[in-house]
Amino acid sequence: MEKRVCGASTNWECAKICAEMGLKMENERTLEKYIRGLTAGMLGGMVVALAIGFFFMEKREFSENENRYLAKLPSFGLEKVQSGEYMKDLETYLADHFPFRDFFMGMKTKAETSVGKKEVNGIYMAEEGYLIEKYEKPENTEKIGRILKDFAGELEGQDVELRLMLVPTAVYVYEDKLPDYAPVRNQMETADRIYKSSGILPIDCSGDLMEHKEEGELYYKTDHHWTTFGAYIGYQAYCREMGLDAVPIEEMDARIVTEDFCGTVYSKAGDYGREGDAITVYTNPADCLTVEYKDTGEITDSLYNLEYVEAKDKYSLFLDNLHPLIEITNETAVSDRELVLVKDSYANSMVPFLVHHYKKIYVFDTRYYKQGVSEFIREHKNVSDVLVLYNMNTLDGDLGIRGVY
Amino acid sequence: MVFSSIPFLFFFLPFCLILYYAVPYKANNPYVWKNVVLLLFSLIFYAWGEPVYILLMFFATAVDYCNGRLMERFGSTKGRRRFFLICSVAINLSVLAFFKYADFLIATLNGLFSLSIKPLGLGLPVGISFFTFQTMSYSIDLYRKQVPMEKSYLNYLTYVSMFPQLVAGPIVRYSVVNEELRERLIKKEEVEEGLLRFMQGLFKKVLIANQAGALWEEIRQLEMGQASVATAWLGAAAFTLQLYFDFSAYSDMAIGMGRMLGFHFPENFNYPLSSVSVTDFWRRWHISLSTWFRDYVYIPLGGNRKGVARHLRNMLVVWFLTGLWHGASWNFVLWGLYYGVLLALEKYVWGKALNALPKVCRHLYAILIVVVGFVIFVFDDMGALGNYFRAMAGCAGNRLWGEECLWYLRNYKAVLAAAAVLAFPVYPWVKKKTEALGDKGRAAVSLLSMFGYLLLFAVTTAFLVNDTYNPFLYFRF
Repeated sequence: MEKRVCGASTNWECAKICAEMGLKMENERTLEKYIRGLTAGMLGGMVVALAIGFFFMEKREFSENENRYLAKLPSFGLEKVQSGEYMKDLETYLADHFPFRDFFMGMKTKAETSVGKKEVNGIYMAEEGYLIEKYEKPENTEKIGRILKDFAGELEGQDVELRLMLVPTAVYVYEDKLPDYAPVRNQMETADRIYKSSGILPIDCSGDLMEHKEEGELYYKTDHHWTTFGAYIGYQAYCREMGLDAVPIEEMDARIVTEDFCGTVYSKAGDYGREGDAITVYTNPADCLTVEYKDTGEITDSLYNLEYVEAKDKYSLFLDNLHPLIEITNETAVSDRELVLVKDSYANSMVPFLVHHYKKIYVFDTRYYKQGVSEFIREHKNVSDVLVLYNMNTLDGDLGIRGVY
Repeated sequence: MVFSSIPFLFFFLPFCLILYYAVPYKANNPYVWKNVVLLLFSLIFYAWGEPVYILLMFFATAVDYCNGRLMERFGSTKGRRRFFLICSVAINLSVLAFFKYADFLIATLNGLFSLSIKPLGLGLPVGISFFTFQTMSYSIDLYRKQVPMEKSYLNYLTYVSMFPQLVAGPIVRYSVVNEELRERLIKKEEVEEGLLRFMQGLFKKVLIANQAGALWEEIRQLEMGQASVATAWLGAAAFTLQLYFDFSAYSDMAIGMGRMLGFHFPENFNYPLSSVSVTDFWRRWHISLSTWFRDYVYIPLGGNRKGVARHLRNMLVVWFLTGLWHGASWNFVLWGLYYGVLLALEKYVWGKALNALPKVCRHLYAILIVVVGFVIFVFDDMGALGNYFRAMAGCAGNRLWGEECLWYLRNYKAVLAAAAVLAFPVYPWVKKKTEALGDKGRAAVSLLSMFGYLLLFAVTTAFLVNDTYNPFLYFRF
C-alpha cells in the first residue's frame, strides 16, 4: 500500500479527507498567522475586485489625460489567433480599460518622482514647473537631408525664394532649466547637418530664441509646442532674413483664450495635478483674412477655432488642427507675394504673424497632402516664396516631411 | 503570457485558481479534475504566445510517456532499458537541436566554410529548453529505477506543461512532483503563503528587475567610445541586477503558484550575488539547472573520481553545455567555458589561498567575476562585446567618470539601493529576528508587512497599467 500524505489508506478515504481538510482547514492560528492570512486575502480580494471592476465599469473611448483614443475590443478571428495578433490586441485592450487607469497612471509617475527620478516616460521634470521632452537620438538625419535636397531640385528653374527653418524645442533653448546632469544632445548640430546636406538656405532662429528667453515664456510648460511669443521670435528671425519689416508685437491685439491648457507633455509625463498653461492669441487688426480649408471646403475669417478651448487638445485651436491644405488670403497684405508653407504644427502659431506680409499663404501638411507640393508650386506661377518649417523633436520620428514631393 | 502582466495577473490566474479550487475531488481518483483544470489552463497559457508549438509539446510528452511504458513492459534487461533511454534522449535532444540550434549551426557552418545555406528561421518554442530537460529527467530516472512509471498520460502532460514553471523554470524533475501529481493537500495556509510568495516575485520583477533593465537599456544605447568607465561598469551592474531579479522573481512566482496549487517546487536561487567564490555562486544560481547537469552529465561522466585530467575534461564538457543551453550563440558558449575555467582554477590553483582572504575580498572577487561574466552573456555580437569591455577597461581613452553617470545614479538611486540590499539575504535575516520576538512583536511585524504588501501591490499595478518596459528575458532559453 502506498503511503499517503493525509494518512488515508484508500482513494475514497483520501478524497474525503482532502476535501474536509483542504481549503476549509482552519488551524488554531496565532495573531501573526491570522494577519498574514488576512494580507493574502486582501491581496487576492483586490485582484478579483479589479477584475470584476473591469467587466462592470463603463469603458471610455477616449482618454482626456493621455489625449488618445483607447483600444477597441479586438474582433475574434482564427487567423488572428494563429498569428498571435488577437492576444496582443486583447492585452492592449485590457490595459487601456483597466479600472481606475488614470489613477494608476498618475500613481506610477508619483512613485517614480518621489524616489528622485527626474525623467519619466521620456520627459524631464525641469525647473520652474517645466516638463521638457527629451531629444532622442536622431536616426533619419541623412534621409531627411536627401528628401529636402530632392525637393529643392524639383523647384529649380522656378522663380521662388526657398528657405528652410528648423526650430529647436524647449530641450535646447531651456537647457539651463533641465535637471542637473541631464544628458543633452544638441539639436542644432543635427539641424546644421540637414541645412548642409539639403543645400537649402537656412533660417536659424535658435540664437534669437536664446536671446529673448528672459522676456517671456517661449515654450509651454506642459506641451511640446512653442508659445505664440516663441513663434513671434521665430517670425522676427524670418523677417530679418527675408528683409521684411516685422510688425511690432505691441501693434497686435493680444488675447488670453485659456489658462488651463494641459498639453501633450503633461499627458506623457503622467504627473497629473500640475497647473495648465495660458494660451495667448495675437490678431492684427489691419488684416482682412479669408481662410479656406481645402479638404472640408469650410471658409472662415479667423485663424483660430476657439471651439478647441473647451477640448483637451487646446493647441488645435491654431488653424483648426490638421488639414492637408489651407489657403489664406489677406486682402490688405503689404505685398502681392504668395507663400507656400510646408510645415508641422509649430508653424500654426506663426502663421498669424506671417499673414500680414503675403497676399496668399498656402499651408501644407505633407503628412496628409499627397498630390506633391512641388507640382502645386509649378502650377501656381504666383508663388514667390517657399518656407519649409519643422521643429527638431518631431522631425526625425514623424517623417511627415517625406510627403514633400 | 508574462506573469507580470495584466492579463495573467488579473484574469488568467484568478479564473484558473477559482475553477481549480471549485472542482470536486473524485472518489476513485481524487485529483483528476483538478489536474484537468490545471492542464487546460496550462495549454491556454502555452498557446497564448505560440499556438502552433502546442503540438510540439504533445509530441515530446507522448514520446517520453510511451517510452516509459515500453521500458517497463519490455525492459527486462539493463541493455534493453538502455535502448529505450537512448531513444528518449535522442528524440528530445533532436527536437531541441532542430528548433533551437539549427540556425546557429547553419550560421556557424556558413561562416567557417563560406557556404550560403539558408537559415530555417523557425521561432523558438517558448520554454523548450525547460520542458525537454524535464521530460529527459523522467526517462533517466526511470531507467535508473529511481521513480515509478507514470501510468496516466494526463498526469504526465500536466506535469510537463504546468504553467507556473513552464517557461522559465525552475526545472522541476518528475521525481520531485510525481507523488503530488496524484495526491496533494491544498491547505489554506499553504495557499496564503504561496500567494504572498508570488507577490514578492511580482514586486521584484516589476519594481526592481524592470527598472534595472531600463537603466541597462539606456546605457547600452550609448556610444561606448564616449561613455565613461564608471558608466560602463554601472551598466554591467544594472544588467546583473536585472538578470538576477528577473530570473529569481520568475522562480519566486512559480514556487508561490505551485504552493497555491498544492505543489512544492525546489528553490532555484539562494542569494547568488552574495557569493564568496565562483564555486559558491554556482551553488546558489539557477540551482535546478546546475544540479540537473551535475546528476545527469557530470557524475555519469565520472565527476572528479577518475583523476585530474578526466575531471578537467568533465568540467569543460558540463560548462560548455551549460553555456550552450542558455542560448544558441557563441557568447553563451564562451560564458559557460569562462565559468568552467574559473571553477577549475578555483579547485586546483587558488581555492585555498582564496579561502584565507578576508570575507570582504572574497565577496568582491566573486561579484567582479559574475558582473564581467554577464557582460559576455548579454552581447551576442562579439564586436559589441569587445567595445563594451574596452569601455569598462578604459582602453578607448574613456574618461573615468562622467556627468551622465551621475545622471543615471540620480535617477535610479532608489532602485539600485533596493536591489543591492535585497541581493543579500536580508529577508531571511529579518524573518529570523522576527521569530525571536514574542507573540505581540511578531503580530506587529506582520501588520507592518501587511501595509507593505498592499502599498507595493498598488504601485506594481500602477507600473503594469503604464507598461512601457516589461521584457521577457528568457525567450531564448
